[in-house]
Amino acid sequence: MIRHLLALSAAGALLAAAGGCSKPAAAPAAAAPAHPNFSGSWVRPLGDRETGGMPAIKDIPLTPWAAAKLKAERPAGGDNQDFANTTDPSLKYADPNGYPRISQHPMRFKLIQTDDYVYQLWEYNNNWRQIALNVPQDPDPALTWYGNAVGKWDGDTLIVDSVGYKDSTWLDSRGLPHTTDLHLVERIHKAGANLVFDLTFEDKGAFTKPWTAQMIYKPSPDGTMTENIYTISDELRFRERFLNQKVNIPIRR
Amino acid sequence: MRTFLAAAAALLVATSALAHHGAASIYDMGKETTIKATVTEYVWTNPHVELGIAPSGGATTELLLELGSPPNIRNRGWSSRTVKAGDVVTVTFHPGLRGAKIGVVIKMVTADGKELHA
Repeated sequence: MIRHLLALSAAGALLAAAGGCSKPAAAPAAAAPAHPNFSGSWVRPLGDRETGGMPAIKDIPLTPWAAAKLKAERPAGGDNQDFANTTDPSLKYADPNGYPRISQHPMRFKLIQTDDYVYQLWEYNNNWRQIALNVPQDPDPALTWYGNAVGKWDGDTLIVDSVGYKDSTWLDSRGLPHTTDLHLVERIHKAGANLVFDLTFEDKGAFTKPWTAQMIYKPSPDGTMTENIYTISDELRFRERFLNQKVNIPIRR
Repeated sequence: MRTFLAAAAALLVATSALAHHGAASIYDMGKETTIKATVTEYVWTNPHVELGIAPSGGATTELLLELGSPPNIRNRGWSSRTVKAGDVVTVTFHPGLRGAKIGVVIKMVTADGKELHA
């Protein structure tokens, strides 16, 4: 309502100026925010932690290459699990999760929105990404853990286009693979108090056609971020202590 | 309401246990053990907070239990100072498979009666 009033007020001022009205125009009203502000702390609701908003594997149009790669992976949980000999790069090497896997943890993230960038700061592993606003996508970006993301507003929705992902990450904890051709389009918008990420995945090497996922986050009233940096020494310590595995470097106590 | 809260609590326990990496391959997730023991160590670390206990009351770790990651259990009321070596607690956990002296905590009751879910 306020936005409509402000728009009418601005339109009235313009009409007055255009018509050469002798009455001086009122001082311009403060500009209404052009876009919603997504800044704040967000967290996954309890419940769907196993897939984190990703569809069932049977509903993802895998290429034969992707199906074979997924079958060969050994995640830490699920039907194909083999924790002791896992191929999960985030456990085996403590690699960064990559995107969007990092957003599937039941931990907080913060969005910090400025005029030029939106920063997404994850509690998990203290990782972050930047979304540059109103700039063209890089036609040949460097390959990185969190890709090259650019965004633009479409009304109240932030549309984020990202490419340039290293192919060593998994898209989720099940081992869902992708290639360096991965192209993600996200439509980020509010739904009531919640923040919704509608994702479209395109990757001709891994998927026979585009497919979608929806990740929903609720506001986190407690915005304090807990340090949660996960390293290879942490993983080796865990394996030595809990699995009685021999590790090849001295474990720090 | 009580039924709803019980269901919510059950979901909390189920999802927190499932969140542990490799839990099903190293713990008997169908079995629960509850014991009173002395804390021998409490380490606020990744990937999971560690709780060493001695059912005998001694100072050496006899059972090594894991909790959730620091941010996750902080959301459930735990902190890096929740317990310390020498405290007496009652812990419920899924025990390790094949007799391993490990476990994954479901809940803990401190000496002053505070109940915390992992």
